[in-house]
Amino acid sequence: MGIVIKILIMHFISKNEKETLAFAEKFAKKLKGGEVIGLTGDLGAGKTVFVKGLAKGLGIKENIQSPTFLLMKIYGAKAQTQRRKISKSADAKAQKIKFLAHIDAYRLKSGEDLIDIGVMDWLGKKDAITVIEWIENVPGIFDEKKIINIKIDFGEEKEKRSIKIF
Amino acid sequence: MLILGIETSCDETSMALVREEEGKLEVEKNIVSSQIKIHSKYGGVVPEVAARKHVETIFSILEEFMEDRKKIDVVSVASGPGLITSLLVGAEVARTISYVWEKPLISVNHVVSHIYANWLEKKTPFPARHASQLADVTGRPNPSREGRGIIEFPALCLVVSGGHTELILMNNFGKFEVIGRTLDDAAGECFDKCAKILGLGYPGGPAIAAEAVIARSDRKERRSNPLVSEIEGDCHAPLCSTRNDMHLPRPMLNTSDFNFSFSGLKTAVLYKVRDLTGVGSPASKALEAGLPTVTRSRLAFEIEEAITEVLVSKTIRAAKKYKVKTIMLAGGVSANKNLRKKMGEAIKAELPNTKYQIPDIQYCTDNAAMTAAAGFFYAKAGKFTPWQKLRVDPNWSLD
Repeated sequence: MGIVIKILIMHFISKNEKETLAFAEKFAKKLKGGEVIGLTGDLGAGKTVFVKGLAKGLGIKENIQSPTFLLMKIYGAKAQTQRRKISKSADAKAQKIKFLAHIDAYRLKSGEDLIDIGVMDWLGKKDAITVIEWIENVPGIFDEKKIINIKIDFGEEKEKRSIKIF
Repeated sequence: MLILGIETSCDETSMALVREEEGKLEVEKNIVSSQIKIHSKYGGVVPEVAARKHVETIFSILEEFMEDRKKIDVVSVASGPGLITSLLVGAEVARTISYVWEKPLISVNHVVSHIYANWLEKKTPFPARHASQLADVTGRPNPSREGRGIIEFPALCLVVSGGHTELILMNNFGKFEVIGRTLDDAAGECFDKCAKILGLGYPGGPAIAAEAVIARSDRKERRSNPLVSEIEGDCHAPLCSTRNDMHLPRPMLNTSDFNFSFSGLKTAVLYKVRDLTGVGSPASKALEAGLPTVTRSRLAFEIEEAITEVLVSKTIRAAKKYKVKTIMLAGGVSANKNLRKKMGEAIKAELPNTKYQIPDIQYCTDNAAMTAAAGFFYAKAGKFTPWQKLRVDPNWSLD
């Protein structure tokens, strides 16, 4: 595998959790379906907060819990009842996206671990967005070129975060 | 009725025999092989490793039950929620036993099993003979031979573990209603992640509890020193946690719902470590900068206080609203001594007519005795699953 050089697409400085949520919500509206997002950042950086915003932007009403324990949670996917939770007011583009696969590789140590839990069923699915927290823990199973990387770093001040998309 | 329980939801491989006689559930055998030592170096459960270990261990455990196969009436297996790779091991073993030994099969919910641990009689379990071969065997004798009190409905159960934080209203056997849950991290997950930030071991709950004990005894020593107590003068709180510089938030303590949030607490711990060490990016670098051990113990104490205070306060409030007759604890975090004590004190003070039921410590963390106990109640309600139809569901929700 060759080295993939990525270009910084966007750099956003978030003043607090609220801004991160709003930014992720706006970011979600730009997604077309089938995207795989890799989230990187230390414990407490706000990765799950970002996913909460993303879910809101996709029109998912369900609450996003930390997937650390179960490793993967699918939203708006499981059954009819959950599908109903996608709000009618969400814009048309988001409507095309029916599922959010939220994956947490915090406890994993290789890409195979992810394959074992059935991640491949969701990766690149046209009507789904896949988000992987701690993607650096599971190298080698994704096509680096196709991943949207998001890195969240702590800023100088307590609540501040630097969010880089590349 | 003799029930064989099988439990492999996460990192514990366990099988148990529970005998029901006139509605009383007594544990005849309960073998738990924990993978905690294996996973501690990774700071958490590694699914692929967990599944492989389950496969390696479950057959040596199964051998312990071969002599009982004729007596067993039903087989009960936890088929979710949990790690899919781990759940599959238990499910396949249960399916095979059901087919080969011709025993009816019951597929139980893991969270419900935790709740039913409260119905297990307090009795010394059958000691496992191959203790040396298994990583950890719950054969700890329990001095209390008394039976449990009668649990009256409606009951409220706080289920707290590494993967769950739920307030569940139980109106009767098999009737569960989730009235509150965590919006982000589970309480056990918060313990684990805070322990990681503080450079303590896995699992985080016991590690933080042990540090908190050190902080408590330090404090006692300090207070018995006349010089110190003069300086700290009028502080009467046990550790003065609201006044000291270690104070952490109590997330969602005063919201009117029964939900929890522990993600912010973890971040607050990060900030605190950063303030104390002056190092920019916390989790990784702050520890290298060196957090004094005394500070670390005091912070661990405050983390335990913050988590348990929120859990107790919301449980009491929910108990008042739903006018429950019994309050129960369940799940791995309910082994936390401080939580057990605090909840007991709060009930005594605020709801003196409400019963308080807690499982034996050995039945708090994952074990198959609770799976067998749940199996009894499912069987009583006629909820059997043919082996051909057994399916695991890693996201099995009670909603």
